[in-house]
Amino acid sequence: MKYAFFLGCLIPARELSYETSVRKVLPALGIELVDMKGTNCCAPFSIQSLDYASWLALAARNLCIAEEMGLDILTLCNDCYESLLMVNTTLKRDPKLKNSVNEILSEVGKEFKGKTDVKHLVDVLYADVGVDKLKNAVKEPLTKLRVATQPGCHLTKPKRLHLGFIKEFGALDELVRATGAETVDYDRREMCCGGPLRDINDELSRSVARQKLMDIKNAGVQGIVTVCPFCFLQFDLGQLEIKRHFKEEYNLPVLHFVELLRIAMGMKLENWETKSHRIPISDIFKGRL
Amino acid sequence: MSALDLDFMRKVANVPRGRGVLLCIQCGRCSGSCPIARLVTDHNPRRLMEMVILGLRSEVLLQGLPWYCLSCFTCLDRCPQGGDVGEVMFAIRNLAAKERNIPAGVVAQARSLIDTGRVVNPVKSILNKRKSLGLAEIAPTGVEDVKKILKRTALDRLIRSR
Amino acid sequence: MAEPAVLVVGGGISGMQASLDLASRGIKVYLVEKSPSIGGRMAQLDKTFPTLDCSICILAPKMIECSHHPNIRLLTYSEVKEVSGSAGNFIVKVLRKPRYVDEKKCTGCGICTEHCPVEVPNEFDEKLGMRKAVYMPFPQAVPRVVTVDKDDCLDCGLCESMCQAGAVDLAQQPEEVNLNVGAIVIAVGFDLFDPSEIPAYGYGRYRNVITALELERLLCASGPTGGHLVRLSDGRIPKKIAFVQCVGSRDIRFGNTYCSSICCKYSAKDAVLVKEHHPDAHVRIFYIDLRAFGRGFQEFINRARSEFGIEFIRASPGEIMEDPATKNLSIWYEDTVAGRIENLVFDLVVLCPALLPRTDAKELAKVLGIEVDKYGFFKASDDITSPVDTTVPGIFACGYCLGPKTGDIPDSIMQGSATAARVAEVLMEG
Repeated sequence: MKYAFFLGCLIPARELSYETSVRKVLPALGIELVDMKGTNCCAPFSIQSLDYASWLALAARNLCIAEEMGLDILTLCNDCYESLLMVNTTLKRDPKLKNSVNEILSEVGKEFKGKTDVKHLVDVLYADVGVDKLKNAVKEPLTKLRVATQPGCHLTKPKRLHLGFIKEFGALDELVRATGAETVDYDRREMCCGGPLRDINDELSRSVARQKLMDIKNAGVQGIVTVCPFCFLQFDLGQLEIKRHFKEEYNLPVLHFVELLRIAMGMKLENWETKSHRIPISDIFKGRL
Repeated sequence: MSALDLDFMRKVANVPRGRGVLLCIQCGRCSGSCPIARLVTDHNPRRLMEMVILGLRSEVLLQGLPWYCLSCFTCLDRCPQGGDVGEVMFAIRNLAAKERNIPAGVVAQARSLIDTGRVVNPVKSILNKRKSLGLAEIAPTGVEDVKKILKRTALDRLIRSR
Repeated sequence: MAEPAVLVVGGGISGMQASLDLASRGIKVYLVEKSPSIGGRMAQLDKTFPTLDCSICILAPKMIECSHHPNIRLLTYSEVKEVSGSAGNFIVKVLRKPRYVDEKKCTGCGICTEHCPVEVPNEFDEKLGMRKAVYMPFPQAVPRVVTVDKDDCLDCGLCESMCQAGAVDLAQQPEEVNLNVGAIVIAVGFDLFDPSEIPAYGYGRYRNVITALELERLLCASGPTGGHLVRLSDGRIPKKIAFVQCVGSRDIRFGNTYCSSICCKYSAKDAVLVKEHHPDAHVRIFYIDLRAFGRGFQEFINRARSEFGIEFIRASPGEIMEDPATKNLSIWYEDTVAGRIENLVFDLVVLCPALLPRTDAKELAKVLGIEVDKYGFFKASDDITSPVDTTVPGIFACGYCLGPKTGDIPDSIMQGSATAARVAEVLMEG
């Protein structure tokens, strides 16, 4: 299994441990990652809000690069995933729109042909690798670890876009359970982390994250597992920001799913990776890091 | 209240992603679900649809209203009529942007996109860390192409004028 | 040419009306009913709108008439398996499922039920209460005989040994009955939309979120709580009750773009019944539109407001959440008239689900060779000029299985009579 690896903007800038864990874990599961060259930003919701044609063209340019590589795209971020998936689906379905986007792309020597698919890490792990293979790769199951999963908005909504391979939160929960950990349901699980408003309206972004943390705290879990760098940031760095603004502490360590998997597979984290978590994670792993 | 634009609903419906406004029955399920509507009385997806339908063009396009949205699509998934509220929000923001109503944070992201091909870039300490870890360099990427595309769509001009 | 005979499939109010009209004209009727007793949905209701008549009280006389009428032969616990032929001459194979009880011998005394050691959820009570493995589906069941649910039966033989009439026959076999009829009437009714398909409303997860049909069983004296309206989580009397309209109706996400046509009416009725049970209760109905057309319904809604103090809020709730300690429900909604987002706590929430074709309607349609519409309801050969004729001559339909065209009780009765007239035409051509 070989994928065109789309890293996006946020991870290489702020969440290196997500990147390094992916580069360690995925090859161990038989997935080859081929870095895409010369890609641009996926065009997240802020950019989509400015202009429709710009969004289509920017996202399509990345899709063209993957097409030229002859590979499907693997993303690690819900926003990248949904932006690229939406554009891919729209252009494949609407030849007129495809033609007008290709007219713009011709200026940069690219042509969208509709030959690639867009996948999220959860999608690849669940559908392509499979829960059984994951279970076999787990050497030190994380038994008794109770976590809440944050699937994130753009992995599961709009439902009509994602039906067929991500059923509600079932896929992510199964993946987490494969590591031996226990997933606990909580109120409003599909609610947004507030990420899209970060740096645009920080007060609102924080309030939304705070509501999520309250709901998660009520479920009585030891930590939160995310599959999107925005959700991660909102909950990890977010807890420090919420402490400053609301004087509340939640003490909920946050992990990228792939980190959870990595620990369960017996691959220790580097010191800097452990420290990169603003809410300390060492307690819940008791010397397993 | 300003003069009504009786054609406004049709205009929004004909902008990409705006079609759904024609199907709205004002049931309020979207606003009953919206996480932002619970925090900010100003933001209310149902009311925004209502304002579009009634033709309150400047109230919709020239104020902060459309930019409170999280684009979380909860409203869209719960709408029983296919009103696609979450999508109509994008259509409204596209129109608002054309009126130069864009929050500073979005302008900053767009500028970064035009200049470096990314909306956010690593700070110096991160660049150094990447180097020390042997991770790929993060440099401006696809800038030429991005500039050409955004010139063609006139977004470049719009952002520069802000 | 055989003597004129008709097959009626479905022993609810609509099918019973058709049967009685035909039987009184001297026509032989075979009334086939899938469940152990005739009566249908109306038997499950507490009171009917807008007159607030006791439902079973007005239904039971018709049920008794059906069972006693010399021209009606009841084939309960039976299903239609095969149909061939054409108008005037249909050959029908009916499968009589074994109830392991001899209908001719059983007196309905109930000793077997008393001693049966097995308890399972009672379908008639929408699984809110329990029944035994050998059971009478409800007190007014017709025929008044018990049925053994072999799937849950332990084969302990207690019922057999306790029965004074020697009616239990645990070795009973299914029986195939061949009928020759001139016409067929389908009156199989509806099933409810399953609200757990809307996770945001919490049905199936939260004990105090129930459907309107479950509410009817709680209100009904013959129901699982003896007619005491209490919460399922703790048995306490609810003080704040919410009704939510259009749960699955008018919703393209589930393909049910239609309005189920009776929910606005019955929810107002149920709200009034709730107030009659608990006059101090606070009752609020959440609606998108208030569709109270026809005989006396707008007046009823007005009474509900003015006389009973029931509140009508124009809002379709966004989500319902449960307080894990009290099991109370909090509803997030926007009062669209006031333009205000609100969050209110209730101790009981009643959902009004869409009414759907029976889950086996498509199968039945295939057996009969009739067409269904895009929702799965039986298609009329012409919606306007022949609304109770199906797409096969000689086969007619009445009641909600035709769809939500109207669908309340008097309409179902009217349609039953209409099919009787249409059938008579076919038989007279004979």
